[in-house]
Amino acid sequence: MKVSSISLHQVLPGVFAGMEEDEALAASQIWLQEVTFSRGCRTLVSAESGTGKSSLLSFIYGRRTDYMGTVTLGDTDARQIRINGWCDIRRNSLALLPQELALFPELTAMENVEIKNRLTDARTGSWIRQAFEMLEIDNRADVPAGRMSVGQQQRVAIVRALCQPFDFLLLDEPVSHLDSRNNGIVAQLVEQEASACGAGVIVTSVGNHLALEYNEVLKL
Amino acid sequence: MSKDIVWRLLRRNISIWQTAGYALANFVGLAIVLCAVKFYCDVRSAAEGDDPYVTRDYLVISRSVSGLGSLGSLMGADNSFSPEAIADLESQPWVKRVGAFTSSDFSVGASLDMGGRGMSTALFLESVPEEFFDVKPAGWKFEPGVDTTVPVILNKDYLTLYNYGFAASAGLPKVSEGMVGMVPIRLSVSGNGRQQWLKARVVGFSSRLNTIAVPQEFMDWANGKFGESGSKNPSRLIIETNSPGSPDIDSYLSANGYEVAGDKAASGKAAYFLSVATAVVGGIGIVICVLAFGILMLSVWLLLQKNRDKLHNLMLQGYTPGAVGRYYCIITGTVNAVVLAGAVAVMCVVSELWREPLAAIGMEGASPWPAVLAGVVLMGAVTLINFAAIRKQVRRSFVG
Repeated sequence: MKVSSISLHQVLPGVFAGMEEDEALAASQIWLQEVTFSRGCRTLVSAESGTGKSSLLSFIYGRRTDYMGTVTLGDTDARQIRINGWCDIRRNSLALLPQELALFPELTAMENVEIKNRLTDARTGSWIRQAFEMLEIDNRADVPAGRMSVGQQQRVAIVRALCQPFDFLLLDEPVSHLDSRNNGIVAQLVEQEASACGAGVIVTSVGNHLALEYNEVLKL
Repeated sequence: MSKDIVWRLLRRNISIWQTAGYALANFVGLAIVLCAVKFYCDVRSAAEGDDPYVTRDYLVISRSVSGLGSLGSLMGADNSFSPEAIADLESQPWVKRVGAFTSSDFSVGASLDMGGRGMSTALFLESVPEEFFDVKPAGWKFEPGVDTTVPVILNKDYLTLYNYGFAASAGLPKVSEGMVGMVPIRLSVSGNGRQQWLKARVVGFSSRLNTIAVPQEFMDWANGKFGESGSKNPSRLIIETNSPGSPDIDSYLSANGYEVAGDKAASGKAAYFLSVATAVVGGIGIVICVLAFGILMLSVWLLLQKNRDKLHNLMLQGYTPGAVGRYYCIITGTVNAVVLAGAVAVMCVVSELWREPLAAIGMEGASPWPAVLAGVVLMGAVTLINFAAIRKQVRRSFVG
């Protein structure tokens, strides 16, 4: 399924129910608003902790449905998509870098990437090696992910997220553990791959922003 | 290779001991069930043979003839079964079907020439619906006006009586079943002011029918032509029962003053005891299987619980529940197949052990396929339930 746009119609996380009059919520540019992300966008969702940025990406990615309002992928109500539909979307349309990274600690960095790439068959082995080199984790490729630093794990998870065709790349605090130099390298890789397929990029951040050129910054 | 990675990832938490424990328990249970089924089949197959030893599914009943009764019959009291009595009998739960003996309503005399010595005797004839026969001899038909020879089926005991009782004392030769078939018999049928000579030939021997049986067509024709008293109620009935030896049969028969011919009720009891014993053994096997099944379900559930995060993460990458659950299905499917194969092997080996003792009392072994089929069906059902449970658990890991 091709996802040409992602729209939020009056969406509010279930945990915020009854707090509609709250000052912070009233100031939000996403909750209880009409928001549309289009392919090709570079959107930064700037948030403070606890305002629900991970929830936002979970709603879009079909991980959670505990929200009011409607999320639509293209013309399809996200709540109507069945499990296998979501699996298809996750292989072909939406790529996610979750904040918790969701790596398998017992598998090596390379295996963590391959477990995705062999499913989608999107990247060549040389592309993956180049990405590892670019992000300076090529010498850690055969180390179990559980024995890597969080910053290294973050970069492995970024490579993995790129190992699929996508219309939107959802990055949940992608550089929270990276220095500014690595931040720049990641931004360069993300921009390169997103431009190549005309995809949109939605990045959340509580402070350390991924250094992309955003055409939209929304406060959560 | 991704499959290899996923497999390596998911197999980590598989407990060999849990799986082995399940396999062993289920193996024992299934082997017991299959052995019980095989044993039951072996014994049943013997019952379906020519000479049922344990299971007598057929009872021949008549009304008790007491001193008073016979006096009564002289005075006109009836020893036959009324249509109401037959209907009541047919309504009993242990009755599969009831057939009536039609007795001859005319005089029959038979004469034969054997070894140069002529013999003649008065006879009686009866007919029974063909579906109650244990033998289906060739030439068992009679068409009035077309056939001139009446086929006859004798009870095996009569031949034994002749060979070991009469022939020995009268200095006559012993005869085999085949030889009897070759002896020409002349029947004199008379009554209703008519008399006719007919040829007859013994075409078979039955161990079920304790009578001299002729085809129903002949009996109907002869009764119509030579009969004197019109149609009569049958005085003997043959019953096919679906629970031989059941105590209900005894109590019903004695309550109604019916008598069972021969010792068939007693041998039926052996069959009844056997089916109860087999059911108990099979039941124990099933209980063990159910417990083993419980162990497997618990193991699968624990395994999936332990791997919940992994499953969730895999589905986060786009793996479908089917693709992820497949590995668990392969594991349980393989274990179940091995258990089935082992249980079938045990059943084959064990049934060899009882084959000889059973053969010694005239029971040929039955085909192992019903038992194998029972195992396949049982394990198939267990495996399907396993798969359904795995699918449900995996899909539950999707959210979050």
